[in-house]
Amino acid sequence: MIDIQKLNFTYTKKQQPLFNDLDCHLEPGSIVGLLGKNGAGKTTLLKLMIGLLYPSGGRIDVMSHDPGKRQPSFLQEVFFVSEEFHIPGISISNFVKANAPFYPRFNKELLESLLSDFELPETTSLQKLSYGQKKKFLISFALSTKCKLLVLDEPTNGLDIPSKSIFRKIMAGSLDEDQLVIISTHQVKDVENLIDKILMLENGRFIMQKDLYDISSKLNFSTATSADGEDVLYSEMVPGGYRVITPQLNGESSVDIELLFNAISNGNEKLREYVK
Amino acid sequence: MATKNSENMSNNTFNGRRFGLLFKQHFIHNNKLLLYSTVAYVGVVFLLLSIVQVGSELVPHDLENFRGFLLGFTGVFGVLYAGYSFPAFRAKESSMNYLMVPGSVLEKFLFELVSRLGLILILLPFLFWITFHLQGYFFDLFSRYEFKSIGLSTATSVQLPNVDSLFWFTALIFSAVLLGFVVPFTGAAMFTKQPLIKTLFSVALLVIFYTTYTYLVAEELGVNKYGLNDSMWLIPTNEAGAFQFFAIALVVANVVLLFVAYRKLREKEV
Repeated sequence: MIDIQKLNFTYTKKQQPLFNDLDCHLEPGSIVGLLGKNGAGKTTLLKLMIGLLYPSGGRIDVMSHDPGKRQPSFLQEVFFVSEEFHIPGISISNFVKANAPFYPRFNKELLESLLSDFELPETTSLQKLSYGQKKKFLISFALSTKCKLLVLDEPTNGLDIPSKSIFRKIMAGSLDEDQLVIISTHQVKDVENLIDKILMLENGRFIMQKDLYDISSKLNFSTATSADGEDVLYSEMVPGGYRVITPQLNGESSVDIELLFNAISNGNEKLREYVK
Repeated sequence: MATKNSENMSNNTFNGRRFGLLFKQHFIHNNKLLLYSTVAYVGVVFLLLSIVQVGSELVPHDLENFRGFLLGFTGVFGVLYAGYSFPAFRAKESSMNYLMVPGSVLEKFLFELVSRLGLILILLPFLFWITFHLQGYFFDLFSRYEFKSIGLSTATSVQLPNVDSLFWFTALIFSAVLLGFVVPFTGAAMFTKQPLIKTLFSVALLVIFYTTYTYLVAEELGVNKYGLNDSMWLIPTNEAGAFQFFAIALVVANVVLLFVAYRKLREKEV
């Protein structure tokens, strides 16, 4: 669905390239977490994928389209929920009336159900809603478009704790097999148990592109009383002991994405080899 | 297969249904703004017409006043409205929404052109005509003079001057009027913040540059002393030629500026 080959991007000629020969391949039917530190280029990469920015070099193919051409047949299959957004001061029903017809697979019943799940109130103006409520509305609308590619930039920012849990539930239950969701986030805990694949960006390149299943079959995440031991690849002190990563020996364990992110972004070479 | 491909291609270039949806979206998103703008325009026109009438001992406005005010109001409000084209480009967030709307670049460009310039050339004069009559009949209640209605046919009838080439003369006037709105329209596509001010500033700079350049070449370098004949200066030698020359120049300027606006929309990055 998304095929990126030797992608180069630089904002200005004087600056260092943000991306240098980046490669990536993503298939539909999964939820991908795009992780990275501040300034790693997560939002820029998302914008390149949907055609809001043009690459300096290389090739981006999304659903057999060049995103930069912004063709309607491409745009009607893509929905982007940005971290900061503009929403018009109209009612929910008017918003749907104005925007839903652009998306051929729009599902109004699904929207009503999602709005109800998020407990969004009826309103005469979306502007009157809080930031979190606006975001919940946009996420609901995005899912209801049934677009093949949904791109969510920091979707859980501004959501309260119950809404984050509803978000995970909704995301897991509202997607079709032909859809691909890319979630860029700092708050890895919010998307844990939701994502199928992790892309980790650092210094303009992917330091990890792995399915969660692969990670859990290679690495074991557990809590231990001690961080010592030859097989400990990485450890972090937590109340009551240590969270440790060790090689997987028997079966699978659930992946602690935050721990893994910290381990890899702290430059743990042994782990990098594991997830390369 | 070829037919299907070409059909897809044309769909990605222009589709009447999508073009209609852009209008629908615009009017639903901006219904309040459009309503308030209309009320503000009618209010300002009503107020200014009233002030002028009070200042002239309540003598009602006649056809001459009508035409003068029509040009003034349409010109000023038209430039302001054209200078606010591509309103989504004023902020990063709305730019992203706008660019991600499933419409082609051509559809979005044509929508903006029609909804801005079409509105200026048709709706603003029509609203002025209505307000002119509302104000005229309202003042009839206080004035001893009788207000005479100006029929739409009288209002739109133009007495053309007796010139050598009527076609080029008409083309010249139309292109000049259009250019007055196309310049701020293109400026709005080019500049993100305060586009109208920046456009006017850029136009002023260009005028100053060419005036200074011409002065330096003609006067300071003494080119005008060489006694070049008119054809070498590309100056038309008769009235019809002058109309033709300037009409073509203005048409080209309009086309070039509209193309620049189209390219700006196509290449916009957020």
